[in-house]
Amino acid sequence: MKFFNGRIAKRSILLFSCVLLFAASICFAKDYDQLFSDANDAMAQGDLPAAIKILKKVEFEKGDESGAFVRSRMQIARLQFALKDMDAASAAAKEVLAVYPDNSEALNFMASVQQEQKPRYKVFIEDCLRFLPQLLKGAVMTITLVVCIILISPLGGLLIALGRISTFKPVSGLCWFFIWLFRGTPLLLQLFFIYYGLPSLGITFKPFTAAILGLGLNYSAYLGEIIRGGIQSIEHGQMEAAKAIGMSYWQAMRRVIIPQTYKRLMPPIGNEFIALIKDTALVSTIAMVELMRSADQMFNAYFNVTALILAALIYLLFTTIFTFIFEKIEIRAGIYENR
Amino acid sequence: MKTANQPLLSLKGITKHFGSLTAVNGVDLDVCPGEIVVIIGPSGSGKSTLLRSVNFLEEIEEGTILFEGQEIGYVTSKHGRRHLDAPHKICALRSEIGMVFQHFNLFPHMTVLGNVMEGPLTVQKKSPEEAREIALDMLAKVGLSDKRDVYPATLSGGQKQRVAIARALAMRPKLMLFDEPTSALDPELIGEVFDTIRDLGKEGMTMIIVTHQMGFAKEMADRVIFMEKGSFVAQGTPEDFFANQMEHDRIKSFLNRIL
Ligand SMILES: Nc1ncnc2c1ncn2[C@@H]1O[C@H](COP(=O)(O)OP(=O)(O)OP(=O)(O)O)[C@@H](O)[C@H]1O
Ligand SMILES: [Mg+2]
Repeated sequence: MKFFNGRIAKRSILLFSCVLLFAASICFAKDYDQLFSDANDAMAQGDLPAAIKILKKVEFEKGDESGAFVRSRMQIARLQFALKDMDAASAAAKEVLAVYPDNSEALNFMASVQQEQKPRYKVFIEDCLRFLPQLLKGAVMTITLVVCIILISPLGGLLIALGRISTFKPVSGLCWFFIWLFRGTPLLLQLFFIYYGLPSLGITFKPFTAAILGLGLNYSAYLGEIIRGGIQSIEHGQMEAAKAIGMSYWQAMRRVIIPQTYKRLMPPIGNEFIALIKDTALVSTIAMVELMRSADQMFNAYFNVTALILAALIYLLFTTIFTFIFEKIEIRAGIYENR
Repeated sequence: MKTANQPLLSLKGITKHFGSLTAVNGVDLDVCPGEIVVIIGPSGSGKSTLLRSVNFLEEIEEGTILFEGQEIGYVTSKHGRRHLDAPHKICALRSEIGMVFQHFNLFPHMTVLGNVMEGPLTVQKKSPEEAREIALDMLAKVGLSDKRDVYPATLSGGQKQRVAIARALAMRPKLMLFDEPTSALDPELIGEVFDTIRDLGKEGMTMIIVTHQMGFAKEMADRVIFMEKGSFVAQGTPEDFFANQMEHDRIKSFLNRIL
């Protein structure tokens, strides 16, 4: 019997302790659930320090089978992070790492704490380096567009201006209509029409062609009016003097009238080209990946405002350089006026 | 100085209207080679319009212009309508007739030399070297060789007008038209321009000059014409004109006003 009793006793002790352990674990787990829900209530009320206090009550149990400890410490870490107390945040995460050195959540958290503790400018520079390659690619496209339009639109504008002052009614009427149409409607609409609208009439353009076409026509119309004003501002006597030495109308235009408009036209045309740099952003709507579109893509992918700031800086750089160049050209164009 | 028997320029019944206004009313004028004709008259009498008509800067409605005996400048279309000849022909005619304006109208974006070279270079399609040579000659003639590389903005009014004369002369015209060449000048600068014109006269250049400078008219003119309301009212040699025409009331009051 002794043997039997001994065995029974041993077994029952084992069983009893098992039951006890089970009960205790249930009991403690229930207890922690209560704590977590209290903490949630405190958070809901916006009292983060109170929530942290409650969560701290969760203690480490051997093995932490319920996961309550890790859960509570990570929660504390996030709350401290939100409260910008980075030391307390990393301390909480380190508690987890002390027992589970390779807990991936805690490791990731430590990384982002380190990121957060870095000086702001370092973070900014890192973001810049991350976004810059893509943005520069976009900027190259923007500059390509700008340069193309700067080459095309003065020629188009000159043709329209000369057409507009022509005494041949059909030509001047046509040029008037062209200016009326392209200055009277939004550039965005013109781009949409060319890229999305014309295909329905069987005319399809690549995005780049459509962008050049839309910007080129629009800017030719604007420059046409500016150039016409410039030509008509040249004193009438100049044309008469040119004719009096036997020049034809076109010789007089080419040699006498148009060269005199350069200085007068440089400021308004410079303004147009500054506006052009910014207007190229509109072609991002017709599937062109230029600076604005690149910035938008970066911003959407990382939800990081640095991409937008960077794009703004690049635009500013461009407009500043152009302003400078146009001032220089203006001075050179008017060199004969210096006494 | 009146040598040849055929007039260089012959105007017959020149009439020009601006709307209901008759600016030039049936003007006849023969100018012999080497002759210097001075036209005077009150403001608005049509002097400028007449000169501009000779250079086709105004299109006349009636009358004919003969140059070296040839009728020039106008053609009659199939429908019987008269209009200016083809542009290239008009240009060719203009390069034979030089014109100098009251306000000089120099090309401000070209140097003095560039202004004078422009005609030979662009119109006559001469080589740059040749055009430059001609221009330097003309600048020497008006006494402004040292100013060749400056821009017109740096010149005095008198110098500007002399450059304008050189510019017209560079085309080697047979006739020169001057429309009040000294009216925009300060009195002390008038002399240098008239000196230049006087030199031209001595070389035998045929000239029609509109001016209010009576002293110059007396000294230089072969003939003085008084124009009023678009017509020639009186004309004669300076001696005759200033001695006898003074009896003409209107001329008298005009001369009294400007002298
Ligand atoms: N382009 C024009 N359009 C309408 N009227 C004109 C025009 N040019 C001249 N006129 C008019 O024709 C008339 C003659 O002008 P014009 O300039 O020939 O006179 P002018 O004798 O040269 O006078 P001034 O001594 O003031 O130069 C004036 O009444 C003038 O107002
Ligand atoms: Mg006049």
